[in-house]
Amino acid sequence: MSAAPVILEATGVRLAFGGVRAVDGVDLRVREREIAALIGPNGAGKTSLFNALTGFFYPDAGTVRFRGEDVTRMPNWQRISRGIGRTFQSPSIFPEMSVAQNLTIGIQSSFRLSLSLRPPSAGRRRELEARLVELLGFVKLERLRDRQVAELSHGDQRLVEIAMSLSTSPKLIMLDEPTAGLAEADTSRILSIVRDLHDRLGLTVLFVEHNMRFVAALAQTVTMMDRGRVLLDGPPSVVLKDPRARDAYLGAEESVRA
Amino acid sequence: MIERLAPEVVNGIVLGSFYAIVAIGLSLIMNLTGTINLAHGSFMTLAGYLAFAIMSRGGSFWVALGGAALLTMVVGVAVERLFIARLYKRIPLYSLLLTFGLSLIAEESFRLIWGPSSVPFAVPTNLQGSTALGNIVLPTYRLVIMGALVIVITALLLFLYRTRLGLRLRGAVQDPDMMAALGTNTRVLYTVNFAVGVLLAAIAGIFAAGLLGLQPTMGNSLLMPAFITVVIGGMGSLIGSIVGGLLIGLTVSITTLYLPAASEIVMYVLMAVVLLVRPRGLFGEAGIFG
Repeated sequence: MSAAPVILEATGVRLAFGGVRAVDGVDLRVREREIAALIGPNGAGKTSLFNALTGFFYPDAGTVRFRGEDVTRMPNWQRISRGIGRTFQSPSIFPEMSVAQNLTIGIQSSFRLSLSLRPPSAGRRRELEARLVELLGFVKLERLRDRQVAELSHGDQRLVEIAMSLSTSPKLIMLDEPTAGLAEADTSRILSIVRDLHDRLGLTVLFVEHNMRFVAALAQTVTMMDRGRVLLDGPPSVVLKDPRARDAYLGAEESVRA
Repeated sequence: MIERLAPEVVNGIVLGSFYAIVAIGLSLIMNLTGTINLAHGSFMTLAGYLAFAIMSRGGSFWVALGGAALLTMVVGVAVERLFIARLYKRIPLYSLLLTFGLSLIAEESFRLIWGPSSVPFAVPTNLQGSTALGNIVLPTYRLVIMGALVIVITALLLFLYRTRLGLRLRGAVQDPDMMAALGTNTRVLYTVNFAVGVLLAAIAGIFAAGLLGLQPTMGNSLLMPAFITVVIGGMGSLIGSIVGGLLIGLTVSITTLYLPAASEIVMYVLMAVVLLVRPRGLFGEAGIFG
């Protein structure tokens, strides 16, 4: 496993908002075809690190490399086309559009059709349709294809989000708290989909999560952040049992449910 | 009765379509980038003067309409790229002040180039005169304007609801970050959106020049009713801008007929009533600037 090449590498990343050092010198390496988890109490800087890695904020210092290329200052949409897909902590879907339209936006981007006005050829249209059917099938939402996303259950919306992050045909998928606020049954649906991302599609997955059972079931490596820094790093069997992980969570809202 | 009311109703619809089309442009820009574009009226006036310049060099009205609208859009893109785009990450007050400053500069420039008073902006003779519909006689140019603005609004709706770019604009209004995460260059999207808003203003400005006369303050005099249209119709709603514009236009015209002294304030009364009953406007969503 450790022989696999590094797909995403952050070195000395710093990101401050006003006086608050949200990310304070973080090194992170994700290897190809790995499922990596990022954990830590609220305010540890996990989402800020995600934003720095995906270009939604540029880091104040440090570098981000994706598949060997320095992408530290690359605009977010361009990074997406290089092969990073992501979801957001807050529900990020277009509620007034149908499931199919939500997915079509990313598919069109991956076909380089997003900013042109010319209608695609018939063959191209068939490819778009095939890709849409494939994505719907992957998250098992075929029956909801033409439903407005606002009408869907919270769990189904989460699956739409994952399918959206997949719609741009990424190599690496970054999920920000994919099971937040979900009931047990929905959590296991997400769990099996994320496993499929890795096992069936051969993607690299990096996710932020508070549900430690979810982390233990999926992650091959776990990075624990606290107050903007990396506290622990290693296989889940080691990190989740480390007393420092429990200490960091103490006093925070979450309890470690290992 | 009907002979007296009909011209005022047509007048109201024409006026209302102007307000609607300017309001739609304002609304598009406001929704996507939070920019309150006080220079919107200047783009209308600029388009009027450019059309005037093209016609005085022998161009036909329709050539002037197309040419001036496109030139104004190019100026709009330049203004957005050079100035306004730098302020997107700041609170709306910055772009409000910037565009207010730009509108002052624009108005003085018009005065320097074309003089402080009206220029003779003549619509072609075949568009002048009147057309009889049954026993109701209506000014031809107003009917032409009504037709043209209906075409423009239809074209805009087709663009927004039937093209990939339109889908992205509608999506980006809801969540620009997600749109970027789906691989769309949102900077280009902002520019296209601004250009569409300016194009609408330009078309309205050229038609308005033939109706209201062309002087340096023309566009700005239509800007306040357009902002009121946005408030009444509700921010974020195209249909709201259309309904709001027609509502104001009709109310003002009919008031002019029966109570001329109140015609100036009636739209403010309308706005006050709507704000009291439904603060987000008739079709608006709450908390655009949340």
